[in-house]
Amino acid sequence: MPEMKRKNIWLIIILLCCCLLGLGYLLIRSLPRQDAKKVSAEKRYVVLSPEIAEIIALLEGTGNIVGITQECNFPSEYAAKTVVGQFGNVNREAILRLRPSLLFCSSLEQQAVAAELAKLGVRTMVIYPHSLGEMLQAITTIGNAIGQAQRAKSVRDSLAEELEAVKAKRLGKFRPKVYLEIYRNPLMSVSDSSFVGQLIELSGGDNVFDHLDRDYCRIKAEDVIRKEPDIIICYSQDSPDIISHRMGWKHLPAVVNHRIYVEKDINPDWLLRAGPRCVSGLKRLQGLYAANGW
Amino acid sequence: MQQMDGKLNFRQWLYLAGMLVAGLLVGYLYLTAGQPDMGIILDVRLPRLLLTVFTGMSLAAIGSVYQMMLANPLAEPYILGISSGAALGSVLAGLTGLFILMPLFGFMGAMLTMILVWTLAQKKGQFDRTRLLLSGIIAGMFLAAIISLIMYIYQKDTLLILGILMGNLGHIFSVGEFRFFLGCLLVGMGILVMLHRDSLKLDILSSGDLYAASVGLQAHKIRQRLFVLGSLLTGIVVSYAGIIGFVGLIIPHMVRLRVSNNQRLVYLHSLVWGAVFLLLCDFLAMHLTALELPVGVITSFIGCPFFVWLLLKKR
Repeated sequence: MPEMKRKNIWLIIILLCCCLLGLGYLLIRSLPRQDAKKVSAEKRYVVLSPEIAEIIALLEGTGNIVGITQECNFPSEYAAKTVVGQFGNVNREAILRLRPSLLFCSSLEQQAVAAELAKLGVRTMVIYPHSLGEMLQAITTIGNAIGQAQRAKSVRDSLAEELEAVKAKRLGKFRPKVYLEIYRNPLMSVSDSSFVGQLIELSGGDNVFDHLDRDYCRIKAEDVIRKEPDIIICYSQDSPDIISHRMGWKHLPAVVNHRIYVEKDINPDWLLRAGPRCVSGLKRLQGLYAANGW
Repeated sequence: MQQMDGKLNFRQWLYLAGMLVAGLLVGYLYLTAGQPDMGIILDVRLPRLLLTVFTGMSLAAIGSVYQMMLANPLAEPYILGISSGAALGSVLAGLTGLFILMPLFGFMGAMLTMILVWTLAQKKGQFDRTRLLLSGIIAGMFLAAIISLIMYIYQKDTLLILGILMGNLGHIFSVGEFRFFLGCLLVGMGILVMLHRDSLKLDILSSGDLYAASVGLQAHKIRQRLFVLGSLLTGIVVSYAGIIGFVGLIIPHMVRLRVSNNQRLVYLHSLVWGAVFLLLCDFLAMHLTALELPVGVITSFIGCPFFVWLLLKKR
């Protein structure tokens, strides 16, 4: 008899489990489904990279942007958009919830996210300009993708003209040696093959670390001392006072002549983002050279 | 054969002298490679050399003491969680932009962790060796998890955090910072001398607490003292150089394999071997490739095969 009882209990448990599984299945089926492949004839863009966001804004495409990353902070109209994470740490589900018709992302870690989302049918576009030429090309590519080819062409042409004009302005003049510090611990600077390095050269300055192993690379403090920069642009949060007190740096021309510039002197987004505001960065750099009599 | 008198015989003198000569040679190369001018030697390379030598000496010395004190061959300066506390302090200072205060925050982190581990290690008001080891490991794991979380959230500062976790001897000193460092160096050297003076007591402790008591030593008090001194020194080192693995674990074992088991001799040789080893590793980290490598990677790359070779040779 007890054995019969035990069998009955097991039967009831199994039946209960089956009922629960069935209920669970029905519940999941009843949830609203998002099929990324079916979304939208409508234009819904999610942008993960701030420089792409700036280009789209210039092409008057912000109205179709439904999601951005925290770093996409220019122009100010992006403040009202849904945030899907940080540049290097995006929330995949948050992106999917927005049912994007096109996901714009940068290279590096974002590319891996794009590849994952592509598996779910999200259309992705990877744009990572390494040079001014590639930045201009990116404007055309993005313009074509968002249906603003004509505007993209005119923006691109006018930017190219401005860049030429900026370049011509410093021809034949003294080229001050510029050291740009992007990180303090460890010390990091930029090479000429980086976008920032190219901006320095185009502005009429001479990037002291023209050749490095990587575009953005670790450097040695003693190499900065050896190269004797005329100007230091420091985005590593150290103040000019702290920099001038670093051991061995007090004799550098930039320190002796108080030519150390930090974020408040020149907006880092103008130089570090491969976007259209680089023209402002170039002009500001030239303004600094001119203010020092070069 | 164990030498209880702790005096160096001819072969041990030879090892010590050989290491010192090697140290001088590496030191010379370290200062002059690439023909720098005197300004660079004095302002950049000499401070770095001082930090490297001090770090190598301290890590190896603490390793030799902890292995003996905890009767555990896997013990090393970071096992008691102090390094994670120091690293967390430094990371927090770096994230808030207080770069100059990084060593101070690191030191404070080390001290707070030391107090925590100390408290956890008490059993009925008595200091317990096993509890110390366990609470050190747990505290270290907990603090390491916090650092990982910070690294995950503040991805833009990954390099700074990695520099602390993988060791970075390229600290950029301002004049004021360097003076403060010299003060810490002086304190650190004082601690090293004090640890050296406890070598004989450690040798006696290794024969068991009962034997130690029979010769009038209070084992738990000696261990407390060594723990506090070792933690202070670890705090100073990690605050400036980050976490550099392998030196504290391997160097004392290398010395025991080649020189002697006597703690005084192991300690003395560990100081010199540790300094020379780290100097060599940092020299290679700086010059092996155009891009400076993390010194912690080099210490493992050189230390592991060398240690394996020593083990095989001794078998």
